[in-house]
Amino acid sequence: MASQNMDPAAAAASSTAALKGSESGSSAARGSVTKRLQQELMTLMMSGDKGISAFPESDNLFKWVGTIEGPQGTVYDGLRYRLSLEFPAGYPYQAPRVKFVTSCFHPNVDENGFICLDILKDKWSALYDVRSILLSIQSLLGEPNNESPLNTAAAELWEDQEAYKALLHSNFQK
Amino acid sequence: MAAPVNIQTPSKTWELSLYELHRSPQEAIIDGTEVAVSPRSLHSELMCPICLDMLKNTMTTKECLHRFCSDCIVTALRSGNKECPTCRKKLVSRRSLRRDSNFDALISKIYPSRDEYEAHQRRVIERLNRLHNTEALSSSIEEGLRQQARYRSERNNRVKKPTQESDNTTFSGGEDNGDSRSHLSHDSAPSQAPHPPGQTPSEAGPSRKRPRASDDGSGPEANSGSPTPPLRRHKEGSASEIELVFRPHPQLVHAQDYNQTRFVKTTANATVDHLSKYLALRIALEDRQTNREKEDRGREDGGGGGGSGESGEGSSLNSVSEKQYTIYIMTRGGQFSTLNGSLTLELVNEKYWKVRKPLELYYAPTKDQQQPQQQTPQQKSPPLPPPPAPPQKEG
Repeated sequence: MASQNMDPAAAAASSTAALKGSESGSSAARGSVTKRLQQELMTLMMSGDKGISAFPESDNLFKWVGTIEGPQGTVYDGLRYRLSLEFPAGYPYQAPRVKFVTSCFHPNVDENGFICLDILKDKWSALYDVRSILLSIQSLLGEPNNESPLNTAAAELWEDQEAYKALLHSNFQK
Repeated sequence: MAAPVNIQTPSKTWELSLYELHRSPQEAIIDGTEVAVSPRSLHSELMCPICLDMLKNTMTTKECLHRFCSDCIVTALRSGNKECPTCRKKLVSRRSLRRDSNFDALISKIYPSRDEYEAHQRRVIERLNRLHNTEALSSSIEEGLRQQARYRSERNNRVKKPTQESDNTTFSGGEDNGDSRSHLSHDSAPSQAPHPPGQTPSEAGPSRKRPRASDDGSGPEANSGSPTPPLRRHKEGSASEIELVFRPHPQLVHAQDYNQTRFVKTTANATVDHLSKYLALRIALEDRQTNREKEDRGREDGGGGGGSGESGEGSSLNSVSEKQYTIYIMTRGGQFSTLNGSLTLELVNEKYWKVRKPLELYYAPTKDQQQPQQQTPQQKSPPLPPPPAPPQKEG
């Protein structure tokens, strides 16, 4: 647009950015995504967080399987959920696609396992990683956002924690 | 105390923590004092939180003072919200950033050779990958095998006459003693697998490793329950056990010649060559046994021909080599394909077999060596009892 008014440093930066953008999906960009995912895997394996874990599904580093244990002191305590994480070529600038593999009765999870969580959508930041995603989903289990539910039945039942827990545990399938 | 902060216009509110409000400046170090900093805390300071790598062409946000690589933050602003990835402070444009050449200088002071640092990072990542990446695993196994072969030849050269009977315990053959629980005993066998590089001797012994492997459910029993070898197994190293059913090649071997099916249980890091040598040894031993029986019969008949068998047996056992027999596996089309001697049985299992049954392999005398083998008279096929049931059914 107003190219003649641009400061040279910014112009240089924008051209590298354009280059980087056009490369997305190319092997170079893929290499940097791979590198970041490897770093994440390493920190995840060394951190030893309780109640969450994740590992690449196969040799393909772009698809992971995660597990979340229901947080203690919530109705989800004692339940274990599997999730799938798929990383786009634009990761970490674009959020990974995360969904529940184990079916999950929760106000913000639909019957296909899709999760309504702001940080996976418009509130995504390149600073989030597998660990923070899984921790966020884990805390979402105990603290649903009942204002905009995907599963209205779950949202309505949430008030009655005893009944919610009974239904949740009787319907839980691994 | 916080009053001066709040005097500013609401949009310029600066929220300082108590620590920030009360801290006093640190004196600059001007003498030779050295301060030790752990590499880990240093790394987190010099790392770009987006690419998780060391900062390159550092850019700092003007308002919130968070640092990123130039490329990383520019791409992030282009593809996401116009806010600081670390704290969500509004970043209107690239003008909200400034180049931080001081920080770049600091980094190059600490790591004069960026290449060296990156090489180190790569090594760390490679070490991690070795834990979950099959390709990397197989290359490290190959490396181990080369070393094994070297050890073996050294050992064979040094000990020219090992007690061959002890070789008998190398693999547990189900065909004569039915003891499927015994296993490849690395401690007595000349075909000993030396410790893979990087492994300490204390954890390299398969007999010591096994209890742990079965404790966490990745032992052979657990493995046989899954259609493909699970990833987890790579983490356990290659010392798990593998069961195999071993038959003569139906096209290359006469039905009467050593026609048993053999059931073998051994460690998964044994190679096809190990197996081949074991087989050669077994057959040689069985031949000797039948020779002896024949001699016994001969002695009863006529009495002569005593010591001739002794010399024959010695030579046949010493000439045992992994070259005598070739190992085949049946591929999907019913074709037999030759297995490379340096492959480990675990790799064979993963590459060709993949199902939850014991690995089935076929053997035949190697073409070049077929002549001496054919001297074996057909009635010599060992009069052993029929093979017992496969090991896994006994347990």
